[in-house]
Amino acid sequence: MNLKEWIFTTDHKRVGVLYLIGSIAAFIVAGVMALLMRIELSSIGPTITNNPSSYNVWLYAHGAVMILGFQIPALTGFFANFCIPLMIGAKDVAFPRVNALSVWLFYVGVILALLTFFIPDPPDVMWTGYPPYSTITTGNTALYTFTVLVLGFASILGGVNFLTTIAYMRAPGLTWNKLNIFVWCVVGAFILQLIFVPVLGTAVTLISMDKYLGTHFFDPTQGGDVLTYQNLFWFYSHPAVYVIFLPFFGVLFEIVATFAKNKVFNYKAAVYGGIFGIVLLAGEVWVHHLYVSGMVDWIRVGQMVTTLLISVPVGLMLISLVGTLYKGSITFETPMLYALGVLFLFLIGGLTGIPLAVTSLTVHLARSYYVVGHFHYVMAVAGTFSIFAGVYYWFPKMTGKMYNEFWGKLGFWVTFVGTNIVFWTMMDIGVKGMPRRYYDYSQFPQFEGAHQLMTIGAVILGIGFAIALLNWIIGAIKGRPAGNNPWGSMSLEWTTVSPPPHGNWPTPPAVGAEWTPYAYGKS
Amino acid sequence: MSEHDAAHAHHAGHAHWDTSIWPAIISVGILAWSLAFSLHFVYHQSFMALIAFGIGIPLIFGGVAGWTGEAMGTGEGLAYGAMGWFILAEAMIFMSFFAYYWYMRLSAPSWPPAGTPPLPVVYPIVMTIVLVSSSITIHMAEEHMHDGNRSAFTRWLLLTMALGLTFLGMSIYEWSHLIHEGFTIATNSFGTVFYSITGLHGSHVIVGLGIFTAGLFPALKGKISSSFWRTASLYWHFVDIIWFFVVSQVYFW
Repeated sequence: MNLKEWIFTTDHKRVGVLYLIGSIAAFIVAGVMALLMRIELSSIGPTITNNPSSYNVWLYAHGAVMILGFQIPALTGFFANFCIPLMIGAKDVAFPRVNALSVWLFYVGVILALLTFFIPDPPDVMWTGYPPYSTITTGNTALYTFTVLVLGFASILGGVNFLTTIAYMRAPGLTWNKLNIFVWCVVGAFILQLIFVPVLGTAVTLISMDKYLGTHFFDPTQGGDVLTYQNLFWFYSHPAVYVIFLPFFGVLFEIVATFAKNKVFNYKAAVYGGIFGIVLLAGEVWVHHLYVSGMVDWIRVGQMVTTLLISVPVGLMLISLVGTLYKGSITFETPMLYALGVLFLFLIGGLTGIPLAVTSLTVHLARSYYVVGHFHYVMAVAGTFSIFAGVYYWFPKMTGKMYNEFWGKLGFWVTFVGTNIVFWTMMDIGVKGMPRRYYDYSQFPQFEGAHQLMTIGAVILGIGFAIALLNWIIGAIKGRPAGNNPWGSMSLEWTTVSPPPHGNWPTPPAVGAEWTPYAYGKS
Repeated sequence: MSEHDAAHAHHAGHAHWDTSIWPAIISVGILAWSLAFSLHFVYHQSFMALIAFGIGIPLIFGGVAGWTGEAMGTGEGLAYGAMGWFILAEAMIFMSFFAYYWYMRLSAPSWPPAGTPPLPVVYPIVMTIVLVSSSITIHMAEEHMHDGNRSAFTRWLLLTMALGLTFLGMSIYEWSHLIHEGFTIATNSFGTVFYSITGLHGSHVIVGLGIFTAGLFPALKGKISSSFWRTASLYWHFVDIIWFFVVSQVYFW
């Protein structure tokens, strides 16, 4: 193996694998941060650190690295890179060098994020960076700003690249209505990235300008406005959950259709109603993150309506997904187990989100563990499970080898149990009044048992993920040969050899009038 | 492109995988610049910051030059469509600044805040005329390129760049004049908005001129990529159109 051809590669599959390696590394680091926090909280008072600032840094690193370093790069970096040119029958992306620049900038962003652990005065601004704290703290807010800017720039380049690729490089005969749902989901996600990432970039630039260049964007004494930051930040960061949600649902569609041997139920409703409904509504709901920050009532009510409304397109996609299972010949390989696990977690996460959307209830629930539990169900763990499902699913295509099915299934069940212990307990004590972000909870001694239970759950969760990671590494080294299409999928990426060569196919594929990626001969 | 074709000629057998070192070099330069900012502004290690910044300069500019040399004319003509998407993202950056500005200004108890000098009226109009002219001249250059008139293309391109530089010079003069009057980015919230929005626009003018420069040297040697120049011209028109928003909101409201 030629190392230079990996590091300086411009090939979409290798760029994708580089994204995967980086995001898994980020996942491990951020996961360790979560474990440190859970161990710290396993007893009242200082447990493993006397310094609340260390806890704040873990909290910052866990959130920022999980979202910006793991989920978004894994979904829009790895899956999009590896799958999309293969799914649309292209030999590569439109701009291979720009693609290489994206993955390199992603690594620069990860390096900047990891510097947090090696520099004096690390950033301690959560992943949100709210002023005025971020503009007066002794922590290094500039590092936070540059991490976000570099990763954001990589996202924008990726968005430009993939939207151009999908628009102009589809195989002959592959019309828009024959695209894989995953491809549509990535279209939606990247449109959102292009519209909203620049706003986040601006927001985090303004806090560093305020702190280091003497401007007054968020300084009320000079006519600035603090709340504007929260608006700019959430104007990106709410749509960011759809940037994660759309590709992870796209992965589920591919897996569920393959293992149910069924065509996607209500394809057009899922694409034009579901995906584009979300794209249209994504930018109109961000204010629900500021319900308790203060605003006039009519905005609050309007945002409650749009927030509840966005569950309609999400529901359309869920119906399509469940409808695809209906009358299918379902088999339960590891990817399918994870995919069905996501459906379960997402359902709990979705239903527990409704009270948070309602302005009167959210006054009680905001800033409590309930929000943390809900968010982890609906996005953090559901998204992560979906990433694991997708890696298992495309593992044979990527490596040409097969992972171990027993350890795959075992890893799933261990993770699934751990997840529910941790996050169900979180929602429970949140409703009972446990506030989030606390380093110590000596005012709330009644929750010590629940915290200990969550720490045990977190360890179980970590073991489950470790089983999966080891299964991939061992499978990639000495798995048995998988063949070109082990799942019997109809989708284009399975028509080339595993792993696909540079250029993907000897002659670019063309598809016939009857072909769709889900043509399983059932209605 | 020859490298690319070769790869596809015998992909079935031993695989040759395309590589490029320039994305990596540019990225390392960006890392150096990111660290330079922290070193200077957070840790006050100005000498270290200067070294980091200095390391970044050859990496970034050399990387861009190497990339341009390697890639010029090898695209599949998709850059024009891609620029449309990129401009959407760029427009959103300006939109964020304007959204901040509108919200801040409309909720301000009195306007302008204390310490704001009267802004000139005629001067920004002249700047507008200069920038709009440059949009017309790049269009003329593009017309001549499509007609195959290479020397006329180069003339109009150089005129466009001269107008762009004039605009930048006028901006710098305007800034130094206002700073001399005691109106800086730190004076008040309007100073913050004024310098950041005009500065953001000015940086786009610099990037536009950089794109022109990157294409100018191959063009002088007779290597004119129509896809490159259509794309560069589209970007320049965008920079021009954004200026109307800047000048109307910042100077004439």
